[in-house]
Amino acid sequence: MPKQPMWLNVYGFVVLVLFLLGMYLGLVVSPPDASMGELIRMIYAHVAVAWVGFLAVVLAALHSMLFLWKANFKDDIRAVAHAEIALVFAGLTIASGMTWSKPTLGVFWDWDAKLTLTALLASLLVGYFIVRGLIDDPERRGRISAVVMIIVMASLPFNYMAAKWFRTLHPAKSYNVDATGLSSTMSPVFVKILLFNVVVAAMIYIYFFIQRNRIGQQEAELFEKETELDVKGDFIHV
Amino acid sequence: MDDLKDALSIFKKDLLQEWRSKAVTVATVFFASIVLMVLAFALGSNDTVLKIAAPGVLWVALAFAGIISAAQSYQNELEENALEQLLLYPIARSSIFLGKLLANWFYMSLLGFILVPVTSILFKAPLGSNWWLILVVVLLGTLGFSIISSFYAALTANLRARESLLPVLMFPIVIPILQAAVKASRELMTDNNPAIVFDWLQLLIGFDLIYFVVTLAVFHFIMEE
Repeated sequence: MPKQPMWLNVYGFVVLVLFLLGMYLGLVVSPPDASMGELIRMIYAHVAVAWVGFLAVVLAALHSMLFLWKANFKDDIRAVAHAEIALVFAGLTIASGMTWSKPTLGVFWDWDAKLTLTALLASLLVGYFIVRGLIDDPERRGRISAVVMIIVMASLPFNYMAAKWFRTLHPAKSYNVDATGLSSTMSPVFVKILLFNVVVAAMIYIYFFIQRNRIGQQEAELFEKETELDVKGDFIHV
Repeated sequence: MDDLKDALSIFKKDLLQEWRSKAVTVATVFFASIVLMVLAFALGSNDTVLKIAAPGVLWVALAFAGIISAAQSYQNELEENALEQLLLYPIARSSIFLGKLLANWFYMSLLGFILVPVTSILFKAPLGSNWWLILVVVLLGTLGFSIISSFYAALTANLRARESLLPVLMFPIVIPILQAAVKASRELMTDNNPAIVFDWLQLLIGFDLIYFVVTLAVFHFIMEE
């Protein structure tokens, strides 16, 4: 197994420091919001993971398209790396969204448009991994799961519309209290801290992506060596 | 044009096979009526509750039955390796998909036309003067549903655990279809506001068009054996 490169360690350390700084900004520096009070601090984490999670889905679909086009297995490995992080971030978004929803709206789950969309996205991503787990041939696995990922991305705008209109065709404005509805009325200090946290979340995402990509490539190499040995003789698996 | 002709011959073949075996018809019609009965019992005897639930019940029954019909259409091909024969023919892969899609759409919309009056009577949700609009809703809703179900049935045809996998994969995708179809049916069954129905029909048309193009474009990737 190749040693982890030095720059990656340094990058990881920098990300950790920035993450702690982001937490400090959100928990200590940020003043309480006029309407939400202390709960504004949760928004920094929630919005950051939500945005980065959706970005990860788009990147996974892009790499899936590249795989279908060029049939290069590196793209398949990258698509999986993006998809895994997207699933984790979608889970974090749901968890933080529910924690925020309980004190503000009084319920853990109220079929809010974006929360519903994230839940649907999480189930779509789980389906993607189930399909991957059921196919053994790497070429076929990459091809079919890439198709699934493209359909997943194509469904996102529709799922968003459906979730938005779930209650009524024209939702009341007061009901729509969430990240983007808020940002227009946010004062600059909140926006700055929020953007800082989003950037940090994106950096954490890049770190995880690089690590997952390395593991994926080593897995592929291992698989190749195993099949090579299998061809030469079955003395390995007595 | 030739591709369309190929698709039509596969559609005809599926219909002929169905006409001789009646497997899908028996399974879907009885299954859908059982779903209606089970849901009627589960919802209780309150007439207002039944009336409000009617459009949802209609589409749940249609969706469950549609899964059976889509899974069956590829199950038939797997027996005696008929799918390999089908793939050996010098026709475009998308024609196979189109033919299967037409057959599934045909079954599902027929079933929908049967279920609409049955649900309306059983759940005491009378259709108003715009009753013909619900036929449009059924046609567009089942089209979107069959696009996704035919596509994912092909994708899962060669996988283990395909019976349980198909609904898991496709239900999150068809949520907007169910949503729009149920809302449009609800307007027709209870509130009778055709203007809102047209809004939902637009969503259905958009969904149908985009998924039709996307699935047709990527279908050959999942049928490369």
